[in-house]
Amino acid sequence: MSVESEVSLDGKQLTIAIKGRFDFGSHQPFRDSYERFYKVPDVYVVDLKEATYLDSSALGMLLLLRDHAGGDNADVRVINSNSDVRKILAISNFEKLFDIT
Amino acid sequence: MTQIHMDPEVLVGLREVMEGEYPLLLDTFLDDSQKRVEALRKARDDAKALGRIAHSFKGSSGNLGAVRLARLCQRLEAESAKAQVTDLGKLVDQIDHEFALVKPLYESERQRF
Amino acid sequence: MPETLTVLIAEDSATDLLLLSTIVRRQGHHVLTASNGAEAVQVFARDRPQLVLMDALMPVMDGFEAARQIKQLAGEALVPIIFLTSLRESEALARCLDAGGDDFLAKPYNQVILAAKINAMDRLRRLQATVLEQRDLIARHHDYLLHEQRVAKAVFDKVAHSGCINAAPNIRYLQSPYALFNGDLLLAAYTPSGDMHVLLGDFTGHGLPAAVGAMPLAEVFYGMTAKGYGLAQTLREMNAKLKRILPVDMFCCATLLCLSVQRRVVEVWNGGMPDGYVHEVATGRRTPLVSRHLPLGVLAPEVFDDGTEVWPMALGDRVFLLSDGVIDTADASEQLFGVERLLEVFAANREPERLFEEIEQVLAGFRGQVRDDVSLVEISLLPGQVLHSSTMQYTDSGQSCPLDWSVSFEFRAETLKRYNPLPYLLQLLLEIHGLRGQSGALYSVMAELYSNALEHGVLGLDSQLKRDVQGFARYYRLRSERLDQLNSGYVRIHVDVLPTEVGGRLSLRIEDSGPGFDVEAMLARPLDIDRLSGRGLNLVRQLSSDVRWTDGGRSVCVEFCWVALA
Repeated sequence: MSVESEVSLDGKQLTIAIKGRFDFGSHQPFRDSYERFYKVPDVYVVDLKEATYLDSSALGMLLLLRDHAGGDNADVRVINSNSDVRKILAISNFEKLFDIT
Repeated sequence: MTQIHMDPEVLVGLREVMEGEYPLLLDTFLDDSQKRVEALRKARDDAKALGRIAHSFKGSSGNLGAVRLARLCQRLEAESAKAQVTDLGKLVDQIDHEFALVKPLYESERQRF
Repeated sequence: MPETLTVLIAEDSATDLLLLSTIVRRQGHHVLTASNGAEAVQVFARDRPQLVLMDALMPVMDGFEAARQIKQLAGEALVPIIFLTSLRESEALARCLDAGGDDFLAKPYNQVILAAKINAMDRLRRLQATVLEQRDLIARHHDYLLHEQRVAKAVFDKVAHSGCINAAPNIRYLQSPYALFNGDLLLAAYTPSGDMHVLLGDFTGHGLPAAVGAMPLAEVFYGMTAKGYGLAQTLREMNAKLKRILPVDMFCCATLLCLSVQRRVVEVWNGGMPDGYVHEVATGRRTPLVSRHLPLGVLAPEVFDDGTEVWPMALGDRVFLLSDGVIDTADASEQLFGVERLLEVFAANREPERLFEEIEQVLAGFRGQVRDDVSLVEISLLPGQVLHSSTMQYTDSGQSCPLDWSVSFEFRAETLKRYNPLPYLLQLLLEIHGLRGQSGALYSVMAELYSNALEHGVLGLDSQLKRDVQGFARYYRLRSERLDQLNSGYVRIHVDVLPTEVGGRLSLRIEDSGPGFDVEAMLARPLDIDRLSGRGLNLVRQLSSDVRWTDGGRSVCVEFCWVALA
């Protein structure tokens, strides 16, 4: 499991890529990846292309990110979800809070 | 069979380790060995007993640098374990003889301190 | 430089013993001696040295046996034993290790090698000691945790006792006794009118963090259900509470349903749980109850969606709810049980009575045993459900309650949209002690009449729509739409309480702003209790005395009487 983050050149978009299992053990690295930046980007992108598994604590972490990013005013996008991940996000109706592709 | 009756290098090492107790070590060895030789004579026909005593004697004589003596004890130990017991008396005599030879050597070493 | 050790040297040759003791003492350690195996064991038992140098062949008891006994005495702790040997044969050397020896040293003794071996063995000894210490620490913490959980469960069970999950004859469930600590929650309670509310929940996390949210949620659920609040209000309250008290990353997936025998419907709200199923016995059809909402505790109260779905049910039909522990049950090769297998069980079932057991069996067969976070519940719609009434509680002789009074309410459009006045009215009427024994009937009648006034009167919905399943769905969709768009109209409720010779009488009149209806025609229709609609009025007539319509059907009046206790 690893978490990698990358800021766009203009500093307006932070992309966080999760590889492996996105679960309870990812808590600290995930938080570090966005709390570390003193500048608040406009857009957060969570890339799940190489995420193999997602559980309810991962959903909780997405909520934490959204809260950090401004709550209802936040722009948080979840991209490259495979069908299993999509299903989990769909059951919890997370597309009402996140832009999921 | 080697001709080393008393290895001086071993003694140097022992002296360094034992320091003030070096003479005591020599005394203990001489006393110990005397008892062993007598025990060997007494156990003439008992192969098992001979083997045990020879094993023990082999250890201490080896530690004290009496190389030939240790080798003879090793042979006695090996022979006594064999199914067909040959005449072990001969080896016992050889050990007896070798000890008689090295005993004065250790005694004069003892005299130096 | 290692610490000073106490070393036991067992050697039958006096020469070798002297030599070795001196070497070891010179390395800074404290030396104990023994000249045979038995003595070695004795000295060990008495003085407990940390390391043993053992000659292999000794009289009385040889080194191998002594080593075995010493290892046994040492128990869990590691006491390294280094065999001293002039044995050459590999078999003899192997014997040393088999007997529990940790290393061996050949004669003639080499000081440097001996020192190195002593140090290495000591490192191992200390490592073992650390491992044991940490193991004990972990075991102690584990005990504390178990104790905490036991206490938490005891507290929770007291909170949860007011439910009917065990008493109700129409509920069957499968749940681990430690479900609470997996975040799984199963609650059931009767409303005053005899409907049943059921909640199946799944909190994020495990252990105490998951269990802690269950208690406030259960209190809201039981409290509001008992007072007659509907699903929407109860959901809003539960969501607000969890949003307030739980950290941002914690929430509760839940399915909440209201099963009504009287009205032959089930009302459902599912936020984040796997599909539930309504199983129609007559047709074998399964209607999935899909998650349409975010879990509880995520959205702020202003944006929370309390919209429910309503499905008709016939007597004998069942609702199945399950937690994701069912779907996620894995077999030995990590294959998931999955939704398809569950649907296969449904499809293969021939006797509805046995469906619950069949699911249980297939699950157990799949995995070998059932996981401890599997929750499965079956609720059947059975006839003859007893109307639940609050126990008669008199704090005094009944003399200080209001016996001669009246009050009128007018609920207008904005209020009708977002407020259910029934729980409040019920509480008000229960101030009259004499009515408490009829609270179930009272609530049922009020709910039915209010619902008619709102839906048929103000919203203009035609109950004929509810003749089949599609019509049913359409009816509730229309209800939701029209209520959203409502900007005029009212429902008035008039309460009049008068004392009588034997006790008292409550007159309840409900009036709506609708066009009214042909009362006589409706009363003349034959009673058809199997129709999806029309049952309500029959019920009202059964439960109260004297039902009368006036004002062209816009106004209905019922009475309840009681006899004062002596």
